Amino acid sequence: MIRFCPPLNPNRGYELAKGTIAAARRSAEMVWLSPIAVSGGNIATLDKGTTCSSWNYCGQRLATGSTDGTLSIFDSPDPSSSSFTCNLKTKVHAGAILKVVWVPPEFGDAVACICSDGSLLLWEEIVEDAQPLQWKLCKSFESTSTQVLDVQFGVSSTSLKLVAAYSDGHVKVYELLDPLILKNWQLQAEFQNAIDSVTMFRKASCISASISWNPQKGENQGSSFVLGFNSDTPQLNSSKVWEFDEAHNRWLPVAELALPEDRSDEVYAVAWALNIGRPYEVIAVATQKGIAIWHVGANPELDGRLSVEKVALLSGHGGEVWQMEWDMSGTTLATTGSDGMVRLWQSNLNGVWDEQAAFQPTA
Amino acid sequence: MSGENQGGAIVPYSEEAKKPVVYPLRHGLKPPISRLGISWSRGNSLRVTVFRQPSEDSENEVGGKAVEVRLDGRDGEISDAQWRRIAYGSVSPFALLQSRKNSFASLSKISSTTSPFDAEWWEYVLEYSKDISSLLGNQTSTTQSLIEDPKEVLKKDPEPSNLKAAWELMESFYADKLSQAWLPERLVDWLADYDSLFSSTQETVHSKLVDFQKDLVSLQVIEDEPKYWEVMSSALAVGWLDIVVKLLRLHGSYQLDQLGNRETENGLVEAVAVLISKMPRMRPELEAGKLGECFKAKPDFMKAWEKWRAQIAKLECSTFWIQCAHRQTQEGLRNMLQIMLGNTNNLCTLTCHWMELYIAHFLYIRPFTVGLESMYGLAQKCIQLKPMAASHRLMGLLIGILGENIEVVLAECSKGFGPWMVTHAIEVLTAGSHQADTLLHEERDNLGGISMEELHRLVYAQVLSSHPLTWQIAPIYLTSCIKQGMGLLEMLLYKQPVDHNQLLLKNLEICRLYELDSVSSNIMKHGKKGSGVYWLQQARDEARLNRIAQQMFDSVGRSISDENFRQWEGLIQLLGSEPKTAGGLEFLHNYRDFKKSLLQIRDGKTTDAARQAVESLISLMKNPCTPQRFWLPLLHDSLKLLNWEERPLLNVLQTNLLLNKLQELSIARLRPDFIEADLPPHALSSVRLALATNLGRTTLEEQ
Repeated sequence: MIRFCPPLNPNRGYELAKGTIAAARRSAEMVWLSPIAVSGGNIATLDKGTTCSSWNYCGQRLATGSTDGTLSIFDSPDPSSSSFTCNLKTKVHAGAILKVVWVPPEFGDAVACICSDGSLLLWEEIVEDAQPLQWKLCKSFESTSTQVLDVQFGVSSTSLKLVAAYSDGHVKVYELLDPLILKNWQLQAEFQNAIDSVTMFRKASCISASISWNPQKGENQGSSFVLGFNSDTPQLNSSKVWEFDEAHNRWLPVAELALPEDRSDEVYAVAWALNIGRPYEVIAVATQKGIAIWHVGANPELDGRLSVEKVALLSGHGGEVWQMEWDMSGTTLATTGSDGMVRLWQSNLNGVWDEQAAFQPTA
Repeated sequence: MSGENQGGAIVPYSEEAKKPVVYPLRHGLKPPISRLGISWSRGNSLRVTVFRQPSEDSENEVGGKAVEVRLDGRDGEISDAQWRRIAYGSVSPFALLQSRKNSFASLSKISSTTSPFDAEWWEYVLEYSKDISSLLGNQTSTTQSLIEDPKEVLKKDPEPSNLKAAWELMESFYADKLSQAWLPERLVDWLADYDSLFSSTQETVHSKLVDFQKDLVSLQVIEDEPKYWEVMSSALAVGWLDIVVKLLRLHGSYQLDQLGNRETENGLVEAVAVLISKMPRMRPELEAGKLGECFKAKPDFMKAWEKWRAQIAKLECSTFWIQCAHRQTQEGLRNMLQIMLGNTNNLCTLTCHWMELYIAHFLYIRPFTVGLESMYGLAQKCIQLKPMAASHRLMGLLIGILGENIEVVLAECSKGFGPWMVTHAIEVLTAGSHQADTLLHEERDNLGGISMEELHRLVYAQVLSSHPLTWQIAPIYLTSCIKQGMGLLEMLLYKQPVDHNQLLLKNLEICRLYELDSVSSNIMKHGKKGSGVYWLQQARDEARLNRIAQQMFDSVGRSISDENFRQWEGLIQLLGSEPKTAGGLEFLHNYRDFKKSLLQIRDGKTTDAARQAVESLISLMKNPCTPQRFWLPLLHDSLKLLNWEERPLLNVLQTNLLLNKLQELSIARLRPDFIEADLPPHALSSVRLALATNLGRTTLEEQ
């Protein structure tokens, strides 16, 4: 009449109880990116041959580039919708578009396209009276012998700057002369990504480069960015933080984000975290050894360099890292790479970095 | 910078290191996938672009998909709309508590005797907790039907939620100071409300009852059914006395036609029912309809308890059992007496999971348990006896609470119930213990100098920011974060789309509220260039405004017959009549007036218009804002005025002024940075000639 329980194994029960408590203790080390509900889903469908994409500052417009040189712009009908459709297509180049980057919103709706022949084109959305929206070429940065590998825009209190990294290991910084006209750019500086500014590496051949501006938008914020190369010239590879020295009107390397033994490692990607109030900066650098998290001091030391500390080396993607992006609070790093996964990384309360979740694309 | 952690150490990837959860990312594309792209959108949503390797064979295939992943720590138990209702509803209790906290803080600065742990403060926290709790759904107030179905033993509650259950635990242990004396009884109530939540993973007393309820209608002789007795005993073990008594009264011996034959049997059933309903309870009160006798003071309770147990023991030994002919009734009732006498074996057999056994212990074996330490010890013992097949988030939380480990409680709140829970529960936690207060408010280097409380608020605000319908309440939580709240608020506002005016205005309103001038002027510059002038003025961006003015001079300076005159005339109108917004714009206003008069002259209107044009010309030439490069074009445009046929329009003084300007211009032309106006080469001489002629004529006239 009464159901009997199976005989108890008191040891087993005790082990389980201990396990429960230990698990609770472990979780006390805290993961704040806690249970992840994967909601949302499909928001846009891209055309055949699409090679690259980029969302604008507010995530309301998507620009994509394709193998046949077509630039497509996707919009959503209203800000609360998350369904995007392609409203405009423009052929911007005869060859393929390899990368699209939006110009910061203060300077209008415009994108920079890196094309397969190595050229860099700026296309802008123009509204002219009584005419539909149009995308027009406003600037072409031509280069005969070298190719543009990466380009990123930085906003300072006074102007818009553009950094382009080239296949010969050169870096060019352009400045927009007139905040209203995206046509007029002046070459502000040209240098190589080496701490030693005297030696020139003439025969450098670079496969890829990654640039990330310090995303801070303060009034008194100077300009700085981090840059690393994937090249055959060891001195150019390691990521360096470049800062603009207003007094002498020049760019200076203020930090090198590589331990002495890792300096020649090819860099796949760099990402400078947003800082909403930390006393130090956080920068992620991906090499074939993994993803390193660096803390960079805010104030220069006596020799003008910033103090740096490598706080973690994460296992990464077991190969090339394609892209790294920090979230809006600068605490979660999203990465993707040749293992075809998206991974999220965070530091716990004890400052130990670890992978918190991974996403595997499935059909 | 944090120095003590293992700088440069490789994160250990040994077997013991936990593997991260791998979530599938469904995109619906045919393989092969060539590459992925990632981008953070607002708040916690991550957008992943999946690119497909193009293949030659098919033409109309899809090249890729963009997929959104929201990392909002939600479990799907509660619908989106319900979540938003909770999110919006918790804003005002949270804000009210913060403002009370602030006034308490300022009070305690004045007099050191007031501490936030005062009695009054407890009441505020409890009020807050009740407000939040009421948002999570009403558990107890179920509408009762007028005609009660005697066979409905289990009331259909609205679906209870894990979230509500978790909140109630927090409230009982931390917020409600009055309940501290009768915590075990609160857990009895809690299990009665939420036992069904455990049914999904294992059998529970609740699920047994639900099953039996279904059979009940078809049963003829209920007391013959072994399940009847088992279910009743189980319900008794976890203290659901009203249900047990109701079930007992369904016993066949109560039926009028049988009462005569089964008098003793019925007497025994009724005696047990009465004993059950008279069970002494160590608690201030019971809800209507619930059974038992309440005692507030421990000595009274102990006395009543002893007496009650003596009555049970007496019934157990009575001779009436021999006269009870119905075997199942006899065994069933005596089993129930064993439960009430605290027979461990019976309790262990009749309960399903450790929490039920735990409650049974409080009710029948250790009714005098007080203090978290002994409650924790008892819980461990029950887990030993009834190990859980799978861990449950509510159990994790309860163990953390009983173990008095604030870090575990926090982690369980965060892991099991997400950022909303942890952010709001912190208020209750910190009020409940000094240890929690210290732990949560300590600033940590590893977190970039913020406290755990702030961290959790930031995380919650980020979740709110992910949704277009909830981002507007994020600032309330962010402004309660002293160190990094404003930084994140700036980021949040910066990332709002500004192409929609309503949204933009909302944005600006938030900036005004929190005095974020630099952000508001920045966001006003976003978006389309053409619509920007007004916003630039609002943002007081002199540099850009002057550039616009310069651009307009260029287009304006060319010719008066231009079609685009109408266009820029409209634009100047739009800029408003406010002078001094920018020097260049003031000039444009005058210039517009001047050109308008000139146009009228050309259209045939005569002397009056001409006089007006001269007025404008003079005021333009006098105005220091008028750029020098405009002097000659202005004068050149005015040739007709200078050579006015009827009579000279400029007097001697005016003519001299213009001649002086012309002279200044001739000197300025020698400077290298002089910009030559786009005019015929003889422009200067023809102006000079006209002015000289005019001077002659006007001198003659004035004499």
